[in-house]
Amino acid sequence: MTFEPKILGFLCNWCSYAGADLAGVSRIQYPTNIRVIRVMCSGRVDPVFIAEAFIEGIDGVIILGCHLGDCHYISGNYETELKMKMLSKLLNFIDFSDRIRLDWVSAAEGNRFAQIVGEFTEHIRKLGPNPLKEKKKKIEILDNLNTIKAVLSDRRLRGLVARQRELTTEGNVYNKVISSEEFEKFFDDAILNELLRHKIMIKIREKGKSVPNIAKEIGIEPYKVLQHIVTLRARGWVDVDEINEEIPTFISIKEG
Amino acid sequence: MVDEEVKIGVFICHCGTNIGGILDVPNITEYAKTLPHVVYAADNLYTCSEVGLTQIRENIKEHNLNRVIVASCSPRTHEPLFRATCFEAGLNPYLFEMVNIRDQDSWVHMKEPERGTEKAKDLIRMGVYKAALLEPLEKIKVSIIPSALVIGGGISGMNAALNLANRGFEVNLIEKEPHLGGLIRSLNKTYPTNEDASKLLEITNLVEENKKIKVFKSAIIENIDGFVGNYKTTIVQNENLTKIESGIIIVATGASPLSPEGYYSYNGKDIISQMELEHLLKNNSVYANNVIMIQCVGCRNEERKYCSNICCMGALKNAMLIKEKNPDAHVSIIFRDIQTKGTTYEAYYRKAREKGILFIKYLPEKPPVIKKDHIQVYNEFLNHEISISYDLIVLSMPLIANDDSETLAKMLKVPLEVNGFFLEAHVKLRPVDFATDGIYVCGSAHWPADISECISQSNAAASRASTILSKDMLEVEGSTAEINEDLCVGCEACIKLCPYSAISKDEETDTVIVNKVICKGCGVCGASCPHQAITIHHFTGDQILSAIVTYGGEE
Amino acid sequence: MGTNKKSVMVIGGGIAGIQASLDLAEQGIEVKLIEKNACIGGRMAQLDKTFPTNDCSICILAPKLAECFRHPSIQLYTLSEVKDISGEAGNFKVKILKKARYVKEEECINCGTCIEKCPMRVDDEFDMLLRKRRAIYIDYVQGVPSIVTIDRDNCLFFTKGACRICEKVCEREAIDFEQQDEEVELNVGSIIVATGYDIFNPEYIETLGYGRFPNVVTALEFERLICASGPLGGHLLRPSDKAEPKKLAFINCVGSRDIKNNPYCSSCCCMYTTKEAMIAYEHDNELETSIFYIDLRAAGKGFRDYIERGHNEYAINYIKGKVAKILQDEANNPVIVYEDINTSKVKQIKFDLVILATSMVPKKDASKLSNILGVELDEYNFFKGGFYHPQKSSKEGIFLCGACREPMDIPNSVIDGSGAAAKAAEIVMRE
Repeated sequence: MTFEPKILGFLCNWCSYAGADLAGVSRIQYPTNIRVIRVMCSGRVDPVFIAEAFIEGIDGVIILGCHLGDCHYISGNYETELKMKMLSKLLNFIDFSDRIRLDWVSAAEGNRFAQIVGEFTEHIRKLGPNPLKEKKKKIEILDNLNTIKAVLSDRRLRGLVARQRELTTEGNVYNKVISSEEFEKFFDDAILNELLRHKIMIKIREKGKSVPNIAKEIGIEPYKVLQHIVTLRARGWVDVDEINEEIPTFISIKEG
Repeated sequence: MVDEEVKIGVFICHCGTNIGGILDVPNITEYAKTLPHVVYAADNLYTCSEVGLTQIRENIKEHNLNRVIVASCSPRTHEPLFRATCFEAGLNPYLFEMVNIRDQDSWVHMKEPERGTEKAKDLIRMGVYKAALLEPLEKIKVSIIPSALVIGGGISGMNAALNLANRGFEVNLIEKEPHLGGLIRSLNKTYPTNEDASKLLEITNLVEENKKIKVFKSAIIENIDGFVGNYKTTIVQNENLTKIESGIIIVATGASPLSPEGYYSYNGKDIISQMELEHLLKNNSVYANNVIMIQCVGCRNEERKYCSNICCMGALKNAMLIKEKNPDAHVSIIFRDIQTKGTTYEAYYRKAREKGILFIKYLPEKPPVIKKDHIQVYNEFLNHEISISYDLIVLSMPLIANDDSETLAKMLKVPLEVNGFFLEAHVKLRPVDFATDGIYVCGSAHWPADISECISQSNAAASRASTILSKDMLEVEGSTAEINEDLCVGCEACIKLCPYSAISKDEETDTVIVNKVICKGCGVCGASCPHQAITIHHFTGDQILSAIVTYGGEE
Repeated sequence: MGTNKKSVMVIGGGIAGIQASLDLAEQGIEVKLIEKNACIGGRMAQLDKTFPTNDCSICILAPKLAECFRHPSIQLYTLSEVKDISGEAGNFKVKILKKARYVKEEECINCGTCIEKCPMRVDDEFDMLLRKRRAIYIDYVQGVPSIVTIDRDNCLFFTKGACRICEKVCEREAIDFEQQDEEVELNVGSIIVATGYDIFNPEYIETLGYGRFPNVVTALEFERLICASGPLGGHLLRPSDKAEPKKLAFINCVGSRDIKNNPYCSSCCCMYTTKEAMIAYEHDNELETSIFYIDLRAAGKGFRDYIERGHNEYAINYIKGKVAKILQDEANNPVIVYEDINTSKVKQIKFDLVILATSMVPKKDASKLSNILGVELDEYNFFKGGFYHPQKSSKEGIFLCGACREPMDIPNSVIDGSGAAAKAAEIVMRE
């Protein structure tokens, strides 16, 4: 039996959902794989929803909004773009970024809607099932996805994205406008750091581990792990579990 | 409600053969009955017919349904009808959920009926999981102060005020100068009728004598607070503070002519601006025989890219007036593109050419050069420089945004565009509205506009304002954002994100709050809130996640 | 004066009439919206995108259509025309003729089955005759009300007395061949005219070759050709050989600013030709476009920036000069002959497709309606507004908005619609 991907679509009410309806009225046929969740604005789509979708085994997620500049809510889709960019960068680390697609479909573009859904379905079909479904990889992938979800739920990156347009156009509290390039670089660093920190958190969620052990498990140098442990302790997320032969082990004390 | 057991009714529509002819509707109905919380499921030929609607109403009562799902066509067309039906049967309309199995299923999977049927089942299951978590919501009502505040006593502001007063609303008109009238006070005659500008200023008396209009002159705005239906503005006149309450605000602050100082050897004597020419014409003291007008001075350049819209007609008018007084005078207009759109203005331009006014096009890279008694300008038609002698040069200066626009914009929390003019909600379809409800803009505050444009726009702004003022109560959708105080840390990121300025910090309680009257429920703040502290009602995280989980989890 | 009727009749369901209707209805004033066609939406529904934001026309229009349809204070009379009025401001009596749709409005659900089965093929006016529709049809897929109509002039049953297939396939029994035209009497306090405009037929200017040369089209035809929901599904091909055009030319002021045809300026063409060139470029980045113009009229908000973007980012070459004529080579390529302003020499350039920005002209039945209403037209046959109060007609209580009074773009039509609503509200709400 050929693989039939499970596709989830988020469609904004005003343009893309109308475009999807137009495909219907025009009887334009496309693959049956997509299930649509209607939102008023694509800007409503919290990246956490998408991480959750992958955790639940969905193979591909498509997010469609009004064309840039056409947003019924003035600027919502610009925010969608920023959020999805963050999501894509994170998913890139675990080879999932190919499983999302952000695009724009107007109320007049029934054809385009069908085409995008068709293309994306084929793309995911070629890519194969959500790797979570492979028994061997399940635990690792689930860990990865949960890490991503934790990063996406945490205030740090969310805060940066929420303020990105403000920082790059109006400036920060010191009225200093940060250029998009500067922001991008800073943001990429932040993404990497947050990802590693949450990865560490997942590794030490049940039992305490030493820095060298953590370093081995996630494949980065011990001194970097130590730096992150220091940050995480400052956040009150991590504490010393026990000290074995002068080597401390650390454990997650984060709630939730 | 919270403790009440969830009882869902699912109504599945055949839509004749539109759905039923392709999907296996009876099978879908049986499936729906197996889903959690579903106590009733039935299919019918046309759910939207009176028979179908009655079936919904009766079953809500018979089975004590507290959630209703209709699986049929698109919520974009039919949700209002089904919501109203639920409401008639005593169910809160927000406890209704619609599933699209026609436009986005049977019609687009006509050759794959089995897979289309599976899709319909999934969609209904997702709908059921979402519906189980739906919460009843109430439309929000707010009272409206039935009076207007118009800022600016030029032609736009006066006309808007008069229209609103004629509609029966109280109007407060504030003007920063000691007189009403605005820029028209500096004009000699007005195009396209060439009548005395004073004729148009007769409206001033109508405004001042109107019992419904309260005029505040020499008034400066100190502060503006509130939201649609309930604005509170403080103004200062001679150190006296007055508080004005209004349901709406119209911005009609106009624009200012750019000073000619520093352009083309301006000297105020034989090189003057059009505004100064107006003054000379009014006093009948134009004696020049060779008049040259230069268009687009200080605009359509790097510094000010825009075309000021009204200067071509202004120059044509004054050129014709000079010709009328002194038919022997030579009048030339050095221009870039003549802006006389439409019927009347184009005819006016034709008339000017017939009267012998000379039009010479110049290129921005080769602007005219003013010498002692003549002007040199390169002409593309002749591919040569020509010189014309003058005894009066008139510079057509653009209108620019008032220098206090920014202060006002900040007080109103509305945006300006790059040139400092006020930025409307939507360039095409909401030209006199701001994104912020209850605030409108008209006249040159929006973009350089001539008298007829100002009057059209101020009528329009008055009409838009009347849609609010004519109501006793404003009723808005209940599906809005709400901030969970326990989770909010007051980072205020959402305040900047909201395109409608619906979120603000309550200084008294030191909390960030959503004004539900202004909120449009787009959900952007909720999806971006760093602390996930914002609930988007009717599209809550739990509701959406519930649909996702049941779609994914079903293996 | 008799009792003042707190209701307004709006004639014309284009964007201006829609805006006027919604504003009035929101003020609690009853609106009778009269539309000649089967669906409201007017010209704006035919446009692909709108300048200067390039947003999708139907996307921003559709919510307004739905609002009009649903508003409890708006009563929609489609397929209707005004036949007679009497009375005065505050109390007009109006007779309208509501033509039979032959479809029960409350039964039809626009499922499309009848359309699919109808054997007749008719040129589709909405798509500028560029594709065929059936004799039972809906003006356009997103049309409101979302109900089909039988085109009596082309229906086989009405013309030949046979067929009735639609009646057989309709599961809702919505087809009703017995329906008759009916006369409806309305009593309103004020009237707003929002009847819009027609398009100049460029066949009158023979030298441009429209109608003879397949690759010379009008701007509104082009609008449908590039529209995603148009006859080509948004993939631009030229009519003669269905090849992708690479070199486009737009000619502004076709029939406008032209003493022999229409002396006035059509107000929107400089902007919409730029828009159409931009959209075409977005479809195909190898496109080269020339726009021939007399003056570039771009005085509106953000318009000058738009033209500049057209030039800098969309490879539009603006050529000042009046086109003398269009020729055609053996491969059906139009060749534009024009006078080069810099050299005063006559030049020729070959293009793949030429688009004519034809003037907006008064509705052909404008004088008939003006007679019925007793309001004046101007020298061109547009409804005559006041010089300073453009929404005021020559008769008290009757107001004008949109392109029925002067060529104008969408924002100005919206302003006019609201403006006329304000004036009409003054009349009907006065004590």
